[in-house]
Amino acid sequence: MAENHKAAPMVDEVSDFEVLEIAVRELAIEKGLFSAEDHRRFAEFAHSIGPLPAARLVAKAWLDPDFKKLALEDGFTASKEVGIDWLNPTGFGTPSDYCDLRVLENTPAVHHVVVCTLCSCYPRPILGHSPEWYRTPNYRRRLVRWPRQVLAEFGLQIPAEVEVRVEDSNQKCRFMVIPMRPEGTEGWTEDQLTEIVTRDCMLGVALPHPERKLDDKRPVHKAANPVHGH
Amino acid sequence: MSRGHHAEKATGKGDPQCFTGEAGEPKFKVGDRVRIRNLPDIFYTRCQVYTRGAEGVVTVVTHESPAPEDEAWDNVDDPEWFYIVRFKQKDLWDEYPDAYANDTLQTEFSERWLESV
Repeated sequence: MAENHKAAPMVDEVSDFEVLEIAVRELAIEKGLFSAEDHRRFAEFAHSIGPLPAARLVAKAWLDPDFKKLALEDGFTASKEVGIDWLNPTGFGTPSDYCDLRVLENTPAVHHVVVCTLCSCYPRPILGHSPEWYRTPNYRRRLVRWPRQVLAEFGLQIPAEVEVRVEDSNQKCRFMVIPMRPEGTEGWTEDQLTEIVTRDCMLGVALPHPERKLDDKRPVHKAANPVHGH
Repeated sequence: MSRGHHAEKATGKGDPQCFTGEAGEPKFKVGDRVRIRNLPDIFYTRCQVYTRGAEGVVTVVTHESPAPEDEAWDNVDDPEWFYIVRFKQKDLWDEYPDAYANDTLQTEFSERWLESV
């Protein structure tokens, strides 16, 4: 191989923040704040979380008025009933996030939608990582000022007589929404209801629908140049 | 090396729970009408500029915690009460459509940012 040969980069671009994260992480490991094994364990935990516990919390609240009352008054305690202990989700000493979950209930008169204009506050222990769009300046700056227009871009049109209530999560409280239980789900079990409560419903940018489930088949576009033999 | 004092304080209790009982009596209660002060924020703040000077109503007295303007500098000596305040959208944005006059926005402030109306 020629001496001046340079290997092609593995990725096109590494952002400043990724470089910063690596630098801070390696410094912290060198200083002994945490070990590389701690970091691996935490990263593994972080990649394993998702919105299912929150979906179950909503399904339980739809079925059990006492549990709904608890969820609205004390989201921290209600979370434990769906397997989430905000104090110790990681097995690490400190919580993985601030521990003040506030559950917002949609009614025929009020529709809640959640944003963090300052950065990306999100109830991660119970809802997993935030979607990419939630963290974009576009969503953050526009939702507070033009909520109905932004919701319409998500395909959600809220009638004028319904109050749209934006919750700008900017301190230590974390928020999730209990959407209204849709018609057509009468007699459903907790498991069945959990399947239709998608992440977006719990942020307030979508409404649950009895025929739209977490594991719906995605539309398949037929390949123009299919690989033969597969 | 030991964890930071803040991490140790939050262990087993959670944050903001670990500051419970450190801020005295809350100055405001649910239903109080308040105005958001326009304090200097040259270094760090979590008080959105779009709320400065606006009037709203306290809907939740949430918890006690150091204000982020202090905590950002590792000053946890003076926790404050925090409040969720509800605004009419029309009071935040002049051009908000009259057709949606009922629309609201809620966000949270530490006590220093609020004054009685």
